[in-house]
Amino acid sequence: MTRTRTAALVAIAVAAATALAGCTGNAGGTAGGSTGGTSGGGQEITELKAGVFLDVTSWDPAVADIGFDGPYMSAVYDPLVALDNSGKPVPALATKWEWSADRLTLTADLRTGVTFEDGQKFDAAAAVANIEHLKKGVRSGQAYLNVSGATAKDEDTIEIKLTKRDDSLLYFMGLGRSWMASPAAISAGSLANGPVGSGPYTFDKANSAPQSQYVFTKKADHWDTATYPFPSVKLFPITDQTASFNAMLSGQLNMQFANAANLAKAKENGWNVASKPSSWVGVQFADRTGAQVKALGEQKVRQAISYAFDSAGILQAVGNGAGTATNQLWPVDGGVYDKSMDTKYKTDMAKAKSLLAEAGYADGFSVKMPMSPIFQAWQPAANQTFGELGIKVEWVDMAMPDYQKNAPTYPMFLAVIAMSGNDMATLSDQVTTAQWYNPNPSVDKFPEVKALVDEVEKADEGAAQTELLKKLNTKLVDLAWWSVWYQADNTYFSVKGIKVQPVTGMMFPTLRFIQRG
Amino acid sequence: MLSFIAKRLLSGILLLIVVCSGTFFLAFVAIGDPTPGLLGNSATAAQRDALRAKIGYDRPVLTQFWDWISHAATGDFGTSWRSFQPVGDQLALRVPVTLSVVVFATLLAAVIGVAVGIACGLRPGGLLDRGLKLASVVLFALPGFWVSLVLVTWFAIELRWFPAIGYVSPEVSVSGWLSSITLPSVSLALGAIVMVGEQLRNGFLQVNNQDFVRTLRARGLSKRRVTTHVLRNASPSALTVLALMFVGLLGGAIVVEIVFNLPGIGSLTQSSSQIGDIPVLMGLTAVTVVFVVLVNFLLDLVLGWVNPKVRER
Repeated sequence: MTRTRTAALVAIAVAAATALAGCTGNAGGTAGGSTGGTSGGGQEITELKAGVFLDVTSWDPAVADIGFDGPYMSAVYDPLVALDNSGKPVPALATKWEWSADRLTLTADLRTGVTFEDGQKFDAAAAVANIEHLKKGVRSGQAYLNVSGATAKDEDTIEIKLTKRDDSLLYFMGLGRSWMASPAAISAGSLANGPVGSGPYTFDKANSAPQSQYVFTKKADHWDTATYPFPSVKLFPITDQTASFNAMLSGQLNMQFANAANLAKAKENGWNVASKPSSWVGVQFADRTGAQVKALGEQKVRQAISYAFDSAGILQAVGNGAGTATNQLWPVDGGVYDKSMDTKYKTDMAKAKSLLAEAGYADGFSVKMPMSPIFQAWQPAANQTFGELGIKVEWVDMAMPDYQKNAPTYPMFLAVIAMSGNDMATLSDQVTTAQWYNPNPSVDKFPEVKALVDEVEKADEGAAQTELLKKLNTKLVDLAWWSVWYQADNTYFSVKGIKVQPVTGMMFPTLRFIQRG
Repeated sequence: MLSFIAKRLLSGILLLIVVCSGTFFLAFVAIGDPTPGLLGNSATAAQRDALRAKIGYDRPVLTQFWDWISHAATGDFGTSWRSFQPVGDQLALRVPVTLSVVVFATLLAAVIGVAVGIACGLRPGGLLDRGLKLASVVLFALPGFWVSLVLVTWFAIELRWFPAIGYVSPEVSVSGWLSSITLPSVSLALGAIVMVGEQLRNGFLQVNNQDFVRTLRARGLSKRRVTTHVLRNASPSALTVLALMFVGLLGGAIVVEIVFNLPGIGSLTQSSSQIGDIPVLMGLTAVTVVFVVLVNFLLDLVLGWVNPKVRER
């Protein structure tokens, strides 16, 4: 009797589990079922299910992050300016633009016939309201630092006035700083509650679960419908790389922000793999004038540090080989990068020690450096190398927010810094403008660098400017402006039938860069 | 009984105030200026000043504390310093996720743990009893994330019975909801099942040897009725363990939330600590303390019902 009852209970449990399992296909796209994943049967993929590293920061374009908000924002908003595969600004809601001779006025023609989801019309007044909103934004404002204001010239033309020439403005607008929202929602301050844009997809709030999955349905009549091949898009914010990979293996995702450590498994599964440089890793010399630690003001000392590090070894051991060992920080697939210079600081400990001795620091010197859990992976290599050079490092532990706050006060620190896909943006971000990761640009203290920067900033955009940037790059490498070890790649896996085109500067590409293929 | 309830409620409210005040001031000391974490790499000094003014961080800390606690008393936990969304809205999204998993895990632990505990108590030294002893050693030794990963590998990746990640709200689909919380709950419950089972089994054996049980048997009561009496006397320790497990699982759910990518309070606690979002941290603290107080209160009520002597203490 007892056995019969136990057997019955087991049977009920199995039946319940089977019933639940059978239901999962429709459970908000959680598992199995109509994954639409592989195109194994030759079927066209109708639903993009992408594992994004982070949740959307905010639906308000002025508060959103460029980093991982791109896919979310690009679903529901149209940008004024977009980027192409190479990071070049291309028309979107602004159909064409023209700079004035002094490059202090940008005149843009706007697309007509576009309406926001609340029925508001997109026109010059709406574009001006958006630019003013973005300029005031706590996060977006950085892109508009040199913009004094925008005015509507007529119903479909705007004029953006600058206080200073800014060759990276259009790039930053295309990167994610020109999403156009309904002016009514901007003035109501309601964008944080939900997007009101004119983008290619409609946000399906009813079937979305904030912070877990976001569902978007394609609009049939969007002006750029051909750029967006998937009728349905689901975005899953998944920070844990193991969870994301498991979801990919189980068929819940068909595209993901990936960990290069899983590359072999991805190939085994026949997935597409796409990579692109995303950040540079190395040592930032915040005190290259030697104001805090005299030794760092010596070019030979900085060069010695560059010679001492085994960049390729660190890339392999810590970065899973996902990147390129180089001592430059303009992207390795860009026009400014010069491959021949990568041999300049070929690992040579003897030469490093000799340079230190020539600079008068044969016995090394002492320095304090900040440390945060995020950088601990590189700490053993740094300890070993500095130790061999006789440089005594006292590490000061701190949490990541404190690292960003305090690192600039140290003479040098370990750095993993996001790169730009635009050469002038790289110059501004990494060289001339003070940032937490570039606290003392000190360009004025190096006359040769200053002269080259001035030349670059005055040069016409294009080949001439690139040539000057190359000269500047050579000079900076020679001065050991930084000790760059390698440029780390961001990697994306997708099933057959989906192809990702990564863009340097975007931690996760916007939807226009995720195509069938 | 009323004074018993009133005393418990009063001590709960006191605990809530003390813990929230302590957390508030500790968070201010530990986090310091939150603007670098909130604004990220590229913010200028002017933008940081603007954010400080916007979130009211430029005011004296006591003013901020009074502002928070006076609003919290009315159920308004303020606005997130990162997303500028009401903290209450975020909690309304996150708390049900963690609660679903933890409550389901506790139910599994209660039902299976009690069944196993009774079975082992009835046949000490039997196969099941020895199995329970082995399981309690093994399951306590295995890290929670490893158990979770094994479950994902078998049931999500290989068999595809359950989803590997994600949470489905019961409003969207009840079966989807059950499906999405099954694996996380099972991985949380495994340790709790053996703990409850072991506790009940030991209590059962202890009570079983007492004089009153022998008297009940001597009076010719059926085995079932004797077992019911024994269970009622053996259950307080198991109930206490279950309540402690619930509180522990509430705080320890972060591991399964990460492995199963569940948008619960564990991951929110982690992210808001990292970026220094104090209003969110405070909201989470208040909610967690309320649950701890509530569970302890319920436990006291149940223990009082099971054993009326408890009410007199």
